Amino acid sequence: MEPYDPKIVCFSCNFGWGYLSGEEALGAVISNWIPVICTGKIDTRHILKAFKAGADGVLILGCPEGHCHFQDGNYQTRKKAYLIRKVLGAFGIEPERLDMELAIDPEGKKIPQLLARMKRRLAELGPVKITGDVR
Amino acid sequence: MTEKPKIAIYGLGACAGCDQTVVDLNEILLQLAETVDIVLWPLAMDFKLSRIQAMQDGEVALSILSGAVINSDHHEMAALLRRKSRIVLAMGTCACFGGVPGLANFCGREEMFNQVYRDAPTVTNPDGVRPQPETDVGGRKLTLPEFSGHVFTLDQVIDTDYYLPGCPPPPALIGNAITAVLAGDLPPKGSSLAPRKALCDTCPRNSRKPGRMDIRYFRRIHEVDADPDECFLAAGIVCLGPATRSGCGEACIRINVPCRGCFGPVPGGVGSAPKFLSTLTSLLTVERDDEIEEAIDSLPDPAGYLYRFCQPSSILGRKSLREEEAEA
Ligand code: SF4
Ligand code: SF4
Repeated sequence: MEPYDPKIVCFSCNFGWGYLSGEEALGAVISNWIPVICTGKIDTRHILKAFKAGADGVLILGCPEGHCHFQDGNYQTRKKAYLIRKVLGAFGIEPERLDMELAIDPEGKKIPQLLARMKRRLAELGPVKITGDVR
Repeated sequence: MTEKPKIAIYGLGACAGCDQTVVDLNEILLQLAETVDIVLWPLAMDFKLSRIQAMQDGEVALSILSGAVINSDHHEMAALLRRKSRIVLAMGTCACFGGVPGLANFCGREEMFNQVYRDAPTVTNPDGVRPQPETDVGGRKLTLPEFSGHVFTLDQVIDTDYYLPGCPPPPALIGNAITAVLAGDLPPKGSSLAPRKALCDTCPRNSRKPGRMDIRYFRRIHEVDADPDECFLAAGIVCLGPATRSGCGEACIRINVPCRGCFGPVPGGVGSAPKFLSTLTSLLTVERDDEIEEAIDSLPDPAGYLYRFCQPSSILGRKSLREEEAEA
């Protein structure tokens, strides 16, 4: 049997993460990576759909407080993420499968490290099982 | 004399509230009885299943189906009425989005049966009796429909032409829907036969909705003496008006109860739960992590609030038998 390799969808803000390395170079080494202009753009639907489509985890990389180019997109998403985690729990999806990190990493070097760390945690949880998803 | 158009009215996994609203058409119902032939309506008249089975495919002009699809009997009746009908209308929130019965999908078959037949405080069941699809009683076989293990919306099981949300839909909207079908005056297939605006846009309290909200914690309606004219949300009382379709006549709002979202999402493809989740958090003005957590924790059972009527049609709750068949 193939070893379990958790799939993570990673959203990151273009203004804080990896802008010096360029999307193509980073995209070649990070799978399921979706750079966005401001984490405030990430809709609740995008996160839920990622899980429905088979993601084992979703990682959001935003800018620290005071660094949002749109005043408070990161803050809006922080609040949203907390409530989404609670809702995921009701569907049987462990809340820690949605994680958010606020920092500045222009070269994006930390992205693969953060993904590796999350993968280790997800490997302990195993694949997502949505409650009631039975015939 | 040309034959009158045939209409079938049938409740699947329903509480009969939708059927009851058809009764509330009152005089309109009497006029209707002159112009149509009601071939099936178990709530109001006797019927023989064999009579429906013997009909030609497409012989029924309109089937009005309420209720979610929960057991094997519902699956069979939905399929039969689809075959026999030219137009199928999903009536009421359960048929459209899953409704309150759809909350069962949050726990699955085993947990639900344990609650209903063992753990609920009102249950006395020392022998642990549970419904069985087949039981032998004195040499005779008795059968019951089997719970499918998942609550489905109507359109996840059969092709559905039109939708009429509401828990239940108001009689006027039902009357309009039937008249529109009979006159052939219908919007494109797949449309909802209810107004398109959000409830906030028609709510009499909207003038007392501030330009910017400042919510620090959530309150529930029974915890406060709500001002009968002020916007509920402005007072921190969870009201699903921003994410809910209008058409109910602001039924709850007018009796000083906030909207729970029974009319389902506004058009535009965004489900009411993710839409309202984003709305709620953006209205919170607390700053620090611990304050944010405290504010959001002040809303008990958020999934129950957000998905009260729409779990089976939601992104994570949905499961379409029709899509699976198409893929297979
Ligand atoms: S939030 Fe509720 S009370 Fe306020 S305007 Fe909208 S529907 Fe009316
Ligand atoms: S106010 Fe909301 S919950 Fe009440 S009937 Fe109207 S749509 Fe349904």
